[in-house]
This record gives sequence, C-alpha cells and structure tokens, in this order.
Amino acid sequence: MRHQSILEYAHFRWFKAALAMSVIAGAVYLWHDPPVKPYGGTWLGYTLGTIGALLILWLLWFGVRKRRYVSRVGSVQGWLSAHVYLGTALLVVATLHTGFELGWNVHTLAYVLMVATVASGFYGVYVYLSVPGLMTANRGDETLDAMILKIDDLDREIREKALSLPDQILKVVNASLDGSRLGGTLGRVLSGRDRACPTAAAVRDLPELGKRLTGDVAKLNHEVYTLLLQKHEILGRARRDLRFKAKLDLWLYFHVPLAIALLAALSAHVISVFLYW
Amino acid sequence: MKLLVISQSRNRAGRVVQVRKEVTADWVRVGRNAASEVLLADPRIALNQGLIVDRNGPVYTEGEMGTMTSTTRRAVRSVRLAPGTAIDIGPYKLTAIPAPEGYTGAITVELVRPADNVAPEFLARAKKLTLASLGLPKRAVSLALFVILAVGVFLLPAGRVLHLPWQQPAEPVVATDRFWNPGPLILSHQPIQEKCEACHELPFIQVRDAACLECHQRIGHHVTPEFKPAVLFQGQRCAQCHRDHKGVRSTFRDDDRFCADCHRDIRSRANGAQSQNASDFAHDHPPFRLTIATDTGVKRVRQGAGPIEEQSHLAFPHAVHLDPAGVRHPDKGKVKLDCAACHEPDASKRNFEPIAMARHCQACHRLEFEPAVTSRQVPHGRPAEAVTVIREFYANLALNATQDSFEKAFGVPGAGLLRRTGAPTDSQRREALRLADGKAARVAMQLFGTRLAATGRKSEQVSDELFEVRVCRTCHEIVQKEGADGPSWDVTPVRQNPRWMPDSRFDHAAHAQSKCTDCHDVTKSKRSSDVAMPSIADCRKCHGGSRPEERKVTSSCMLCHGFHEQKNPWDPQFKPRHPTRLAAEAARAR
Repeated sequence: MRHQSILEYAHFRWFKAALAMSVIAGAVYLWHDPPVKPYGGTWLGYTLGTIGALLILWLLWFGVRKRRYVSRVGSVQGWLSAHVYLGTALLVVATLHTGFELGWNVHTLAYVLMVATVASGFYGVYVYLSVPGLMTANRGDETLDAMILKIDDLDREIREKALSLPDQILKVVNASLDGSRLGGTLGRVLSGRDRACPTAAAVRDLPELGKRLTGDVAKLNHEVYTLLLQKHEILGRARRDLRFKAKLDLWLYFHVPLAIALLAALSAHVISVFLYW
Repeated sequence: MKLLVISQSRNRAGRVVQVRKEVTADWVRVGRNAASEVLLADPRIALNQGLIVDRNGPVYTEGEMGTMTSTTRRAVRSVRLAPGTAIDIGPYKLTAIPAPEGYTGAITVELVRPADNVAPEFLARAKKLTLASLGLPKRAVSLALFVILAVGVFLLPAGRVLHLPWQQPAEPVVATDRFWNPGPLILSHQPIQEKCEACHELPFIQVRDAACLECHQRIGHHVTPEFKPAVLFQGQRCAQCHRDHKGVRSTFRDDDRFCADCHRDIRSRANGAQSQNASDFAHDHPPFRLTIATDTGVKRVRQGAGPIEEQSHLAFPHAVHLDPAGVRHPDKGKVKLDCAACHEPDASKRNFEPIAMARHCQACHRLEFEPAVTSRQVPHGRPAEAVTVIREFYANLALNATQDSFEKAFGVPGAGLLRRTGAPTDSQRREALRLADGKAARVAMQLFGTRLAATGRKSEQVSDELFEVRVCRTCHEIVQKEGADGPSWDVTPVRQNPRWMPDSRFDHAAHAQSKCTDCHDVTKSKRSSDVAMPSIADCRKCHGGSRPEERKVTSSCMLCHGFHEQKNPWDPQFKPRHPTRLAAEAARAR
C-alpha cells in the first residue's frame, strides 16, 4: 500500500472542508454590510467568532484525542489531517472576525497567539513531512540503540587492540574511548555536532602519528584506525539522528505552550468583551 | 558452494555447545536479517553484514556486493577463509576450520562479546539524547503562560470591574482594563476613556440608552413619538447605529444606504409619512419644502409648483435697494448698497442676524417729523410712544420756541408762551395748547395716516414733500383706529423668516466663495412677497449624490439632514420645551 501523507488523507477531505469554510467565510464577509465598519461585534463578527472559538477548542482537543488509544471517533490520522486543515481555515475565520482591526489589547493578543500557534503548526507539518525520510536514510537499517551498542562494541575492540600501540597514539585513542559524547546538551542535540569530539580528533591525528610505525604495530595501528573510522561514522550518524529527532520534537515545545496561552487569552477576550458588552 | 556452519556457544554450565548447519548456496549471507544463512542475531550487526562467496574456496566480503545497506559501507574488506583464519564481525568471531569431505568450506561462529557482558561505558555517557530528557519544559511553560495571561489580562482587570466584596473602593493605581479597550473612542468620548463603567454600566449587559442620554439629553427621536412610524424604532438601542471604539472620527456610518433603506419608498414603511421618496441627492430627491410663517401658523410649501409668496407685512423692494446706480441717501446723495449692508452674519457665521431698523434702515429712512428741527426723530417701535413724543415736542415749542421757530412750526406769528412779556392770559394759554395739539395731530396723521387720509389732509394742510416719503407706511402696513381721543394706529408686526428650511444643515460660511446672488437672485425683485430661496437645481450645480462625480461635491444625505429630530439644531436660541421622551424615560429608569 502506498504511503499516504496526512495532507492527502481520505482524498483531501479536510482540505476541501477547510477550503469551503474559508471561501464561504470570505464571501459572506464581502457581502456583509456592517453598521459602522467590519469588526467582531456585528452579527457576522459574532458568528465568525463563535466558529473560531469552537474551532480552537476542538483543535486543542487533539492533544487529548491523540492520547486516547481506545477512542473510536475517527482515526488519529484523520484527526491530524483535520487538525492541520481546519487550523489553517481558523486563520481565515479569525482574521475575518477581527475585521482587520488590531491594537495593543487583549483581543489582538489572542489573535497574535492564534497566528503564532498556527504558524508553529505549519512548521510542524513541514518537519513531519520532510524529516522522517531523512531520518530513515540516515539510520539505514539500524536503530539509535543499535548504533550505541555498536559504538560500545567498537570501543571494546579498540581498547583491546590499542594496548600495544605507542603511548602517544594510545593517548589519542583513549581520549576517543573515554571522551566521546552523544547528546547531553541542548546545543549538541540540536546542532547534531560535537565541536570537541575526541573521536574526530583521533581520526584526524592517527595517520600522522602512525607514519613512522612498522611491522605488526603498523598493522595494528591501521586496524585501530579502521575501527575509529567506523566509530566516527556511526557517531556522526547517531548525532544526526538526535538532531532529526529533536527537530521532530522541538516545534511542539512552542506549539503546545502557545496553544495553551491562546486558551487563556481567548477566554479573557471572550469574557471581557461580554463583561463590557 | 556447500558450507558447514558451526554456531558455537556456551551453556550455563560453561560447556561448549555446537549447532551444525549445512548451507548450500551460490553465496551465503551473513547478518542480522532472519533470512541470512549465517544469522548473527545481535543489534550491533548490520541487517546484511556480509557475504561468503566461493572464489576457489570461501571468501568473506563486506561492502562489496549485495551489501549496499551495510552500515559499514566504508569499511570494505575481503578475507579468504583459509583454515585457521579468524575474523571479527562485530561482537562475533568467525573462524575457518578445515572443510570436511564434500564441503567447500567450514566455519565456526561464536559470540565473543555478548551485549549484556559489555561494560556500557559509552552507553553511560550517551544520556539525555532527546529534548524531553534534557528537561526542556513543555507542560510547565504551558501552565506558566496560562497562569500569567489569566492573571495579567483577565483577573487583574476584572478585579477592577467586578467590585468584589473584599475590595477597597479606592481607585487602583493602574487602570489595567486599558488592555480590554478594543479601539480608540471618538474624540469627544475620550475624556471618559479610562472610565469604562461610564457607558458599560452593568457587567454582561449591553450598553443601555440611559448611559448615552445622561449626557445627550436633548437628542430627539427620528420622528416624534406621536407619529405612527415611531413604532418602527421601538426597542432600538442607540448602540445599534452608534458604535464606538471604531476610530476617533465617528460612531456611525455616514451612508445613504442607511437612509435610503426606508426613504426610497417611505410610505411602504410609514403610511402617513409627509416626506416624499428620496434615495440620492443627485437623481432621486424631491424639490425642497420651504417653511413659511403665516398669520395662522406655519405652512410648508414645496418648490416647483408655481411661484411661492410670503407675507411679511413689510414693503421692501430688493431691486430698488440694490440698484446699480445707487439709492438716494438724505445726506450723501446716491449710495450703492450690497447684500452685506443689511444681512450681517450671526455669531455662528452660518446664518444671519435679523434686520433691525436702527442698524440697517434708519440711516436713510429717518423718522424726522419737524422739518425745522432735523435732530429730532420719533422712536421706532410703538406708535403710541411716537404720538406722545410728537405731542410733547410741539407742547414744548408752544411754551419755549423763539419767534422764528414758533412761526415755522405753527405758521402763525408769535413766540413761545414763556418768551412773551408779562403773564400769559387764559386765552393765550388755550390758544398755545390748541396750536400744539393741532400740529401734533396733523404730524401724527401724516406719519401714520393711510394714503387716503394723508391725501385728504394734504389738500387742507400743505406739507413737506420730504415728509411725505418718510411716513411709516413707506415700509409698514398700518391700521387706523378711531377712538374718543382721536385716531390711533397699529403697525402690523413684520415677520422675518430666519430659517426657510429649519431642518436642513446649511452653513453660509462654507459657501462664502459663492456670491449671494448665485443662490438668492433678488436684484429684480420688486415686492417683498418674492421668495428668493434656491431650488434643488441650484444646489445640484455643485452638489452630486452619494457616488463621486466629476466636478461635483459628493453629497450624502447626512450632509444636509440630521437623523435625530431636533428643531433648529444649530439655532443657539433654540430651547426644547421639555426634555425628550427618551431622556425623560432615562431619568425615570435611574
């Protein structure tokens, strides 16, 4: 079965729904003739505002629905497809609800948070569509755990073999064995690099250091170098893997808090508007 | 190729256990893949790690062929499996042993570094690989943002509004509900901008008319409540048309559509409407209706159906006064007058002061009554006072006049009674009084008398011609009444029409670039009954409709009309007799 992205779920069902919603909202907005100028307090403003608020609540509910594995209300794939498209339609509905009237107030705050949430969602969709392919290509047929085990195994092998090497070389090799890191800080995870990676240093320095070696020691040195090359390569891939995973995760650290902040601002907006009706 | 594969491991007791397997294939796959002939079931091994091929004996290769998915693509190696050769494949050791009879080769495979025996040194350092394990907060940030916003933009401002029981009534230092203000108020409402409750009196209740009418007490209905169409407006709130927080200019939309909705076909909405249909000034607007005062009240006459006349009870030919050759002045000869000589703008500059005899007429139309004494004039206004002044004047002459004055005034020889030598006799006194009264009566008759009476008098008493043109009836209509003390006169009050279209908003100052006669052509008018109000055609020379038009001022309904009924909205003298019904209701509701 061909893989189907969430965007084309059910023959673009939710794309069509969102498009219809946006077009209808836009058409009514153009037809509507408000008493002073378009804003959230005309009948159309109230209608669009109600639709927008309900949409926001429903979009927030996705955070609950995706954790309800036993729920049978549609598939999570369908929900996500709808989440993406109706979230986009929300942008249109809410913008028309404002009547393009913005200012330094709680109402515009809610709007800005909504736009920021949707924008972070767009980035999330982009990441979800582009990164997994790169991630698979990077991993090959291994998992991150396998890579780590493999590095551990290589370390053992290197440690055994490097014992007979000259001190100078052993020092460089041991630095790789004892000092190579994976992850640990936000910078390393997000960049997918380690600027001070001892394995990279060892790979760089070993050929030069082993130049004068001869006979069995030279052979052993070459073996160790080969193993270090393997380790370096796996380390690089593991780091890229971390980076991809972080990329898949990071946007949610904005999307979710922004959405929750939006809930607060939206509530303040709705209540304040009717408090001072 | 026929290969003997011996998988070697140790059981718990430490004894070596061997599993023999015979493989016949063109090439033998080595890897984690379950389909591999040599299965190395360990995560550290690639899915398809390598191949054993027959090249005049078994050869182990990695990364050359069929192993493109190998993770160790770079490390290409090829090792001939001669008996005794041992190679490391990850944690496994692969050793070639002498091939038994009938086999191409034989190998033993042993896991020498089981995963759980490996001291996980690197694994120990490979912690915190994901954002979550790095402690990047998601829920905490969400919760914090929610709380900050809920408190900052809702609870604090709401605390100001809701007057909670534990609150002190003192004004807070910061008006935190400023952030709830959705947009700027119109300029005139900005003084109460920080005081939301001035209009938003009750929480969760729409702004009530009472709040508006607290200040806008004199605002009227669109039609007075006595008329039936008033029902059309019942239950409407001020805020349905007037929306504030929509910019500093206006709370309503200056839009013909709003008016035309009803007035395009007004009788379908209001059966008894007196106005005619109108939807656009340029092409769908009836001729103007003039408000004209009559003796019995006010009448409204629409232009276009024949000439309109008014009755002001004043004789005034504009043509004479605006004669380009000038008009006769008693001292200065011919004087040229223009409109502004009499029509002076009032304080608002929109309209004109009423014409006053003293200021505008009397310089020429002097009220002298005795040719010999040009410094004396009768007072203008009350005929009885004028008669008294005349009588007193001649009585004084009869007492005090020099011989010259006496003879000029009374036409008989003599002098004032007090200027004669010796005490006057009774007959002299009576004669003096008779002369004075007789002269005063004649003068009064000349001033006030009707033309017939004056003519009759003229035959028996030759009088000044100059005097003839200065009599009151030159301008006024006069009614003579015969009483016991002789005739008395009433001057019919003059009616000046200050506002011909009292409900329109017309600003003369805004039209100062035009000449008066562009709209009010009176240069040929010989009678004061002529009405010189401009017609709609005159206005349309410059004013278009609601749609922009070349060389025309775009003119919406609201340019000239107001929505709310307000008698003389710009008349500073106007005082409503009582507050409007809406204001009265608002006051009661409080």
